[in-house]
Amino acid sequence: MPDWKQIVRKNLRVVGVCLPEFTEELAAHLEDGYEALLSEGLSAEVAFQDTIGQIEGRCRVWLVMRFLQEELMTGLIRGVALPGLLTSAAAGFFYWALALNHLPSNVIWLAGGLSPLWWWCLLPVWGALGARLSRRKGGSRLQRISASLLPSAILGTLILLIFVVGFTLSGLVNHYQLVSARVESLGLVPPGFVLIPAAFSLLGAGIAEVSSKKLGSLDSGT
Amino acid sequence: MASVNAQIKRGSAELAVLTLLAEHPLHGYEIAKQIEAQTGGVLRFDMASLYPMLHRLERKSWVKAEWQTLPNGRRRRCYRLTPSGRKQIAPLRAQWRAFFQALESVTGFQNA
Repeated sequence: MPDWKQIVRKNLRVVGVCLPEFTEELAAHLEDGYEALLSEGLSAEVAFQDTIGQIEGRCRVWLVMRFLQEELMTGLIRGVALPGLLTSAAAGFFYWALALNHLPSNVIWLAGGLSPLWWWCLLPVWGALGARLSRRKGGSRLQRISASLLPSAILGTLILLIFVVGFTLSGLVNHYQLVSARVESLGLVPPGFVLIPAAFSLLGAGIAEVSSKKLGSLDSGT
Repeated sequence: MASVNAQIKRGSAELAVLTLLAEHPLHGYEIAKQIEAQTGGVLRFDMASLYPMLHRLERKSWVKAEWQTLPNGRRRRCYRLTPSGRKQIAPLRAQWRAFFQALESVTGFQNA
């Protein structure tokens, strides 16, 4: 008997990584289909080729697309947008509170001073919060990761827009210093406010995943 | 037109699955096979259509899925209809009846 779980994991890596809960179910489906073909009198080789054809080639592409589309689109609001926006609000509020209380957010000199260290340090908490809220709303692993990264995505989009508008205006006034200042900051702002925060948030989401798994195994063990 | 077509497919598939599950709980493969058998092969589900739809129904709390160990020791994820899902069947049937009647009035199509 072929190891259908292993075959599904190998052929549908994306589904396995993003939506691991589907792997066993799809493997069970293939196993039933394979056995049905054997019971119809097909040889093991033909039955195997016929069954595996459901997760190979165009079928595989279609299957992955349908799963991702369904998971992303239908669960987008509940699993990603709402937890992600709450996480964004929490991260933004904290940054605003630091600024309002004149607390030194730029405490280390990296990337031209754009290194709000304390803000970064708490980003794993917000990342974990996003992932946790998404989990509570039934979000898949992909949705939980997306929810934790949404604040960085929003900030990245805003920064991109600001740069586009800034470059356009700089071009209009044709001022060399303005343009060079924007080119310089283009290399500083995205790492400090988008890429590094995204990594910190992802770290928090990862910790939340591991702790949820451990708690789950403890629950099932008791 | 393509979107209408997709919606019709989606709606009809949901009604078929809910109706089937109203009789007894089934796992994914059984659902696909029973629908294929009962419709003489006209309606067929591939994995790409069936499982995302089942999980969508689960998210809507119309069905509930549970892993069960079969007598042969294998684990299967069985779907059963929830009270909320049962309530959906009558309105969905009414919508489809209205749809077929409307189609019939335009095309002379007979709703068997």
